[in-house]
Amino acid sequence: MSGQNNNTKILLITTMISSYPGANTVGQARLQYSPGTYIIRVPDPVVFPESFYMRCFEKGIDGIIIMSSGSDCPYEGAYRRLSERVGRVYNRMKESGIDPSCLKLTTICTVCKAAFLKEINEMQANVIKARSTQKESAA
Amino acid sequence: MEKQDNLDNINQPEEVRVGVYVCHCGGNISDVVDTKAVVEAASKHPNVKIARDYVFMCSDPGQKLIIDDIRENNINRVVVSACSPTLHETTFRKALRRAELNPYLYEHINIREQDSWVHKGDHEGATAKAIRLTMAGVEKIARQDPLEPIVVNAEGHVVVIGAGVAGMRAALALSRRGLGVTLIEKSAQMGGRTRELDTVYPTEEKAADIIAQLEKAVRDAKVDVRLNSEVEAIEGFIGNFEILIKSADSKTAKARAGAIIMATGFNHYVPYEGEFGYRQSPEVLTLPEFNKLLTELPPSQKLTYKGREIRSIGFIHCVGSRQTEGIHQPQPDGKVNDYCSRVCCTSALHTIHRTLDRFPDLHIYDLYKDIRTYGRGHEDYYERASKRGVLFFRYTDDGLPVFTPPQKDKTATLTVKDVLTWNEEVTIPVDMVVLVTGMMPRNIANLITMLKLPIGADRFLQEVHPKLRPVELANNGILVAGTCQGPMDITECSSAAGAAAAKVSILLSKDTIEMDPFVARVDTARCDGCQLCLAECEYKGALTMAENRAKVNPALCAGCGSCVAVCPTRAINVAGWTLDQFDAMIDAIGAEETESELVPA
Ligand SMILES: Cc1cc2nc3c(=O)[nH]c(=O)nc-3n(C[C@H](O)[C@H](O)[C@H](O)COP(=O)(O)OP(=O)(O)OC[C@H]3O[C@@H](n4cnc5c(N)ncnc54)[C@H](O)[C@@H]3O)c2cc1C
Ligand code: SF4
Ligand code: SF4
Repeated sequence: MSGQNNNTKILLITTMISSYPGANTVGQARLQYSPGTYIIRVPDPVVFPESFYMRCFEKGIDGIIIMSSGSDCPYEGAYRRLSERVGRVYNRMKESGIDPSCLKLTTICTVCKAAFLKEINEMQANVIKARSTQKESAA
Repeated sequence: MEKQDNLDNINQPEEVRVGVYVCHCGGNISDVVDTKAVVEAASKHPNVKIARDYVFMCSDPGQKLIIDDIRENNINRVVVSACSPTLHETTFRKALRRAELNPYLYEHINIREQDSWVHKGDHEGATAKAIRLTMAGVEKIARQDPLEPIVVNAEGHVVVIGAGVAGMRAALALSRRGLGVTLIEKSAQMGGRTRELDTVYPTEEKAADIIAQLEKAVRDAKVDVRLNSEVEAIEGFIGNFEILIKSADSKTAKARAGAIIMATGFNHYVPYEGEFGYRQSPEVLTLPEFNKLLTELPPSQKLTYKGREIRSIGFIHCVGSRQTEGIHQPQPDGKVNDYCSRVCCTSALHTIHRTLDRFPDLHIYDLYKDIRTYGRGHEDYYERASKRGVLFFRYTDDGLPVFTPPQKDKTATLTVKDVLTWNEEVTIPVDMVVLVTGMMPRNIANLITMLKLPIGADRFLQEVHPKLRPVELANNGILVAGTCQGPMDITECSSAAGAAAAKVSILLSKDTIEMDPFVARVDTARCDGCQLCLAECEYKGALTMAENRAKVNPALCAGCGSCVAVCPTRAINVAGWTLDQFDAMIDAIGAEETESELVPA
């Protein structure tokens, strides 16, 4: 796997209680994935306003995977709020000409190793595809 | 990596002096990540005053490096790039405390599980990632003010709701640890659904004896037992709950509690009319109904039901459990019960033995999906059943057994595509059918609404984490014991109750409770009183208005951050996880340098 990875930067927003330990499980199993992946942990991704995601794209992040705890989220009403918000972010992405496939809300638990890798690979493919479409339309 | 210190937007009373410590972890990290390059890159940051790498940062000499730098070089913020924070975040926080630095001025960056171990073949990529993540840590901690743990007074009394086995066990354990306990039970007696049982697996004790022993112990321990009572209202927060109890005769009483244990138990799944002939044919019963019949049957040579002799019985497992969408009828909320009820396999086999003990000539047919006799001694019931002539048939959801009611001179039948004989269709004549029904949570909607309790996709109460915090709910000071959390047998209920009681007694061991400070905090200078955040908060009393500014009650705030996202002025943030900190981290991660610019050749 090349260090360049087409220079993609994928942000993985993980939850302290499930997907962050999930990413550790992937590491403990020594499963390999692209280093162009940056994991940040939060109590819950519901904390981020729409503008946070848009700012990430402006500041050099190519793709974002929100690895939430899904309906297992321990915080009352947080998952519903999060998914509604992500819906609004999609609208803003479309308005700004950012390919919506560069943002994904998914659920990852402490042992979801295969799903974790699948999400990263898919996002990487999406980001590369979005880039080439953008280049084509610019040309 | 030349950067300007752009911290002017935060109120830092002192110069921010960050120490960065990069761990080799033996070679676990340094065999892949060029730790010297990380140190070099970090040193260029204007706020980083010291950057070092070391073979084992968590060792005593490693921690001493940090402590000495705090004491001698006035380091006042620390970043350690090492293994996962789940392993050593607390270790390093304690080191800061020993050096008399606020332990929350610390950021832990994971460059092992999430870097060196997963990018082994790409040293340059892994090093660049370590640099970016470390710089993100520096940016975050540079924007961190000291935090203090939240301290609240703690009432040395506990309220346990529900007096089944789980509630009784929890009450007893708490009382033996010297805490006052009020045990609130809706029905007229203690014991819960265990009262419905005759003997119980795997010990074959009489359920009535177990309950009698527990009841005596609970009474002897001077637990304040409130039968025929329910919770009318709950106010307050961890350490200081105020519970209004209402009895069936409408009398009310108040209890104060430092913590609450939920032990409200389970309901039996009730098949819908026509499910395997239920409520349409009298010969179809549920397992609890059949158990009751067996227990109440006077001594006799023959098993008779509604005047008819029963010579054969078919048991169908997984009724109301392990359901599949599209095949099974959903519950009113639109969802099927896709979980395993766990206890029903063994309890069905246990009942089969009880039946055969009394009526050895009965023909018993057992139709199952899987036999899940998972606990110690449970498999024995299965093996013995085979030896006693019980015939087993295995079905799948594609071929659910079909019940045909009796016709004039023919008995009822069960037709099953038996997986064990390569899907051969077998028709079994049966005089009676027992539906092995599973568990559902009891209807405690009022408590769920009152306390904002988290429920899982299976509708049972949901713990914070099944392995890391298995008996705590996200609501501070509220714990869970027994089958209100999910299907369990008596042994498991007892363990869960013991765990919940132990957690509570640690929590209430002192007059005050110290909690992590990671809850919402309002910058009153930025708050304009718009109240948008209030509408987002699900936790009653956590967020209110005072003098036209949002105000957080730290003991009630769950720290989820729902309120943060909607504040137009960024006045409200979760302490330790502010949006400004996240933005700064993103800037560091998104920074333009390529891998080769970051990592010297
Ligand atoms: C058919 C069957 C057979 C079984 N056989 C066995 C066996 O042989 N061996 C074994 O180990 N396990 C067996 N089990 C499992 C066993 O029954 C349970 O593990 C046990 O009863 C659960 O105890 P609990 O305290 O969690 O809940 P429950 O027994 O349901 O008790 C909950 C209590 O809370 C009270 N309550 C509910 N809501 C409120 C409220 N709002 N306010 C106040 N009080 C409230 C209820 O009235 C009840 O008293 C069997 C289960 C089934 C279904
Ligand atoms: S315990 Fe057995 S009968 Fe009950 S749901 Fe699980 S598999 Fe089905
Ligand atoms: S949303 Fe922000 S500005 Fe509005 S009341 Fe809440 S904290 Fe204050």
